[in-house]
Amino acid sequence: MPPRVNKEKCDGCKAEHEPLCEQICPGDLMTLNPETRKAYCRSTRDCWDCMSCVKICPQGALETKLPYQLGYYPAKLIPLMGTNKITWTCIDINGKVERFVIKTRND
Amino acid sequence: MGQPRTGVYVCGCQGEISKRIDLHQLAATMAKKKGVALCREHESLCSLQGLQLIEDDLRSGEIDRVVILACSPRRHEETFKAILRKAGISEYLLETSNLREQCAWVHEEAKQAYKKAAILAQMSLARSRWLEPLEPLRFTATRRVLVVGGGIAGLSASLDLAEAGVEVVLVEREAFLGGRAAQLYRYFPRLCPPGCGIDYILQKIRSNSKIELTTLTEVKSLSGGPGNFEVTLLQKPRYVMPDRCTACGNCAPLCPADRKDHFDFGLSQTKAIYLPKGFPHPQSYVIDPDRCLGQECSLCRQACPVQAIDLEESPRERTIKVGSIIVATGWDPFDARLVEQFGYQQYPDVINNMEFERLVSPSGPTGGKLVRLSNGQPVKRIAFIQCVGSRDKNHLPYCSKVCCTVTLKQIKYVREFAPEAQIFVFYMDMRATGEYEEMYRLAQEESQALFIRGIPSRVIEDINSHDLILQAEDTLSGQMVKIGADMVVLATGMTPNQEFRQLGERVGLPLEMGAFASGHLQCFPFESRRAGIYAAGTSQEPMDASSAIKSAAGAAMKALVSLPEEIVIRPTVPVLDKTKCDKCKRCMEECPFGAWGWDDAGYPSPNLLQCRQCGICQGGCPMKVIALKHSTVKQTASMVEAFDPSFLGEREPTILAFLCYNDAYPAVDAACEKGLTYPANLVAIRVPCAGSLNVALVADALAGGADGIIVAGCASDQCHFVRGSDLAKTRLQNMQETLQRMMLEAQRVKWLTLNITDTEGFVRTINDFVAELRRLGPNPFKG
Ligand SMILES: Cc1cc2nc3c(=O)[nH]c(=O)nc-3n(C[C@H](O)[C@H](O)[C@H](O)COP(=O)(O)OP(=O)(O)OC[C@H]3O[C@@H](n4cnc5c(N)ncnc54)[C@H](O)[C@@H]3O)c2cc1C
Ligand code: SF4
Ligand code: SF4
Ligand code: SF4
Repeated sequence: MPPRVNKEKCDGCKAEHEPLCEQICPGDLMTLNPETRKAYCRSTRDCWDCMSCVKICPQGALETKLPYQLGYYPAKLIPLMGTNKITWTCIDINGKVERFVIKTRND
Repeated sequence: MGQPRTGVYVCGCQGEISKRIDLHQLAATMAKKKGVALCREHESLCSLQGLQLIEDDLRSGEIDRVVILACSPRRHEETFKAILRKAGISEYLLETSNLREQCAWVHEEAKQAYKKAAILAQMSLARSRWLEPLEPLRFTATRRVLVVGGGIAGLSASLDLAEAGVEVVLVEREAFLGGRAAQLYRYFPRLCPPGCGIDYILQKIRSNSKIELTTLTEVKSLSGGPGNFEVTLLQKPRYVMPDRCTACGNCAPLCPADRKDHFDFGLSQTKAIYLPKGFPHPQSYVIDPDRCLGQECSLCRQACPVQAIDLEESPRERTIKVGSIIVATGWDPFDARLVEQFGYQQYPDVINNMEFERLVSPSGPTGGKLVRLSNGQPVKRIAFIQCVGSRDKNHLPYCSKVCCTVTLKQIKYVREFAPEAQIFVFYMDMRATGEYEEMYRLAQEESQALFIRGIPSRVIEDINSHDLILQAEDTLSGQMVKIGADMVVLATGMTPNQEFRQLGERVGLPLEMGAFASGHLQCFPFESRRAGIYAAGTSQEPMDASSAIKSAAGAAMKALVSLPEEIVIRPTVPVLDKTKCDKCKRCMEECPFGAWGWDDAGYPSPNLLQCRQCGICQGGCPMKVIALKHSTVKQTASMVEAFDPSFLGEREPTILAFLCYNDAYPAVDAACEKGLTYPANLVAIRVPCAGSLNVALVADALAGGADGIIVAGCASDQCHFVRGSDLAKTRLQNMQETLQRMMLEAQRVKWLTLNITDTEGFVRTINDFVAELRRLGPNPFKG
């Protein structure tokens, strides 16, 4: 399920051109609405649920629901980005919470 | 570089620390840690012997960095830095841990205090591994100051600087000097003609070779930072060559075009070619291009006996280098049309106080006669209305400080020109401070002006008599007062000069309260929000002329100290790892001081002279690729990682606090001075500004198992770096929302504002927070 944008939190990356979600999306699906200066997904069918945008958004404004192959609506997977780790929270359809921490960078 | 060899020094502080914490055990534990080359215990490290001990170890080459476990860094960090310098080692290879003010003195239970001391030592050791040797950064500087605005403030600042031996470029956008003061009839409090004072200063300026003075010139753009600003100046054509013009005046009578003279606020006219009033500089005619009929006419050119007229002259642009800038662009009168009920510019006899100055001036529109503008009749009843637009949320929320005294002065004018006239003053409060009180007394006793405490609801004109009717409630007597007047003077206040407002926006000088906002009004009143740019006179805040001169001296002093031969700055600057930068520009957007620009390769790059080293860019960078040297994300992350959330045992909640070093950290330090204690569950890490904390570090702390996290900064309007505290708060709020979705209690992350005296508030918060965390149970990531 394509990313949902929390319009309160998204600040359009404050920049003029490409926000981070637009830069990172491998399918070039995210972009800014020129009027509201908020991000949206311009072709929801094409989203792969790769979650790149969710991870990069500095405001934590994006959320995806899990694709149905992995878990039925409203199961969700939420990352919290640390300096060298990502803390994932997975909430399944029954509301069961699982958490795991993954190291991302070795210094 | 091989493995770091850290020397760990544990200070007993003459028993102050050692009586609560078992330092033998601590030293023995630390000595065994990886990376520790030696660990020593001493009763008083800041004593000469203590310092000698550290110096000898450094010189022996056995250690290459130092961790000091002692008192607050606010006490002796500088002492220890000095010893590193003395030993020939970068002072940035020092890490201090606060075992006294934030441990031994405030935690009563010795076992817990020991455990906290051990964790603090562990965190410091972890950070020490990432310390880098840094040396001060040096830049060459231009010893020249640009002064913008040739009013009384700009003139005084220029002269002060030139007399101190500094080169000055003074630019004035008008064709005359002296600013608004040149337009006044007389000056309070001595009631001398202002021309006398301005002339005195101008004589000195003209004879000082250090000052280059140009009129009809404005600042077009500005770049760079303190020490080396580049400023582009735009000089408008005057169409008359000043070196030829003898000001004979043959031209003007032939000129067929008129212009309204803004020196007289449009109340008088001149020809399109005219000699400016006030203090024209140079002493020569100029042509108003908006009114001149151009080449086809050329009558003035034919009349000029010395061929001084050049109708083809074009604007000139040039770029100069200066080390600092003084903004003295002054003020404009508040536009009284906005207060519609007083009929300004609807009735010709309602004028503002500046127009009144011109009216009575010998060089003014009536040649110095106090007459009604509607019919030229003498003025017999005159009313002043105070605070027009001032102290009013809808217009100017502030008091302009001078308008009351101006009215008291103008009452004297009335007595001079119309000894028999009746004078009424409608006011809310008369604010004649200091010695101006005497003028208030004289206005009542000598000039017999009638003061009515109440502001008229409106001014209307009687259609038959053309009298102006004012009606107000005198709040002292409770009675309605209705009077007829043949002239009404509106005491309007000062607003910042509009044109400069636009330049201000371009160069990042925000406006506040009728003037250029200072970086921090109490602590740095002369500093604008851009380093190296200082405000003088009424561009700082509304003030009278004598205050403007004082303020100019202050600004000149500030400009002077920022003009050394060489600028040396602390190396704690932001550095960008370009390979990972996304060019999202958040750093540029969020830096409160506009320090970021683009480098040649198209990456963001900070102007280090403009940077105030707050680290807000580091805090905001989503890629975490900005490192504020000596407070880097990596360094802080290593401390977070070394924090063991179970250091007090599995059950006991622990809190990691990130404290802004400006106010929050000292507030926490102060707990011991007030004899307060708090639970050892809290461990603090200092940050240069709450805004410098990247939220990834909060995520690290949560993922690492800390039960609670505090980020503490200054109150929004007290932030030393303007926006740091607000940004930190927003970033945390965003995170809290995410935590909620993650089904983690958002209360675990707490934003706290602390001012430097807020110690009791802090202790209360900690006690409550520990209790709250006990209720919530452990962080799911713990263990
Ligand atoms: C009605 C009235 C009467 C007053 N009477 C008295 C009095 O009797 N005694 C007293 O002490 N104070 C008096 N004051 C206050 C006094 O006028 C100010 O304190 C004084 O003018 C402040 O000087 P300044 O140099 O700060 O500003 P200004 O006098 O405004 O000078 C600013 C100068 O900068 C120039 N400038 C503006 N923008 C630019 C630009 N972009 N580029 C280049 N140049 C620029 C302007 O042309 C001007 O010359 C009075 C004020 C009012 C309203
Ligand atoms: S990355 Fe986040 S803040 Fe930036 S535009 Fe996309 S949704 Fe908005
Ligand atoms: S905020 Fe970080 S990623 Fe964005 S432009 Fe600045 S340095 Fe690059
Ligand atoms: S440290 Fe502060 S002042 Fe310096 S560039 Fe970063 S945000 Fe701007």
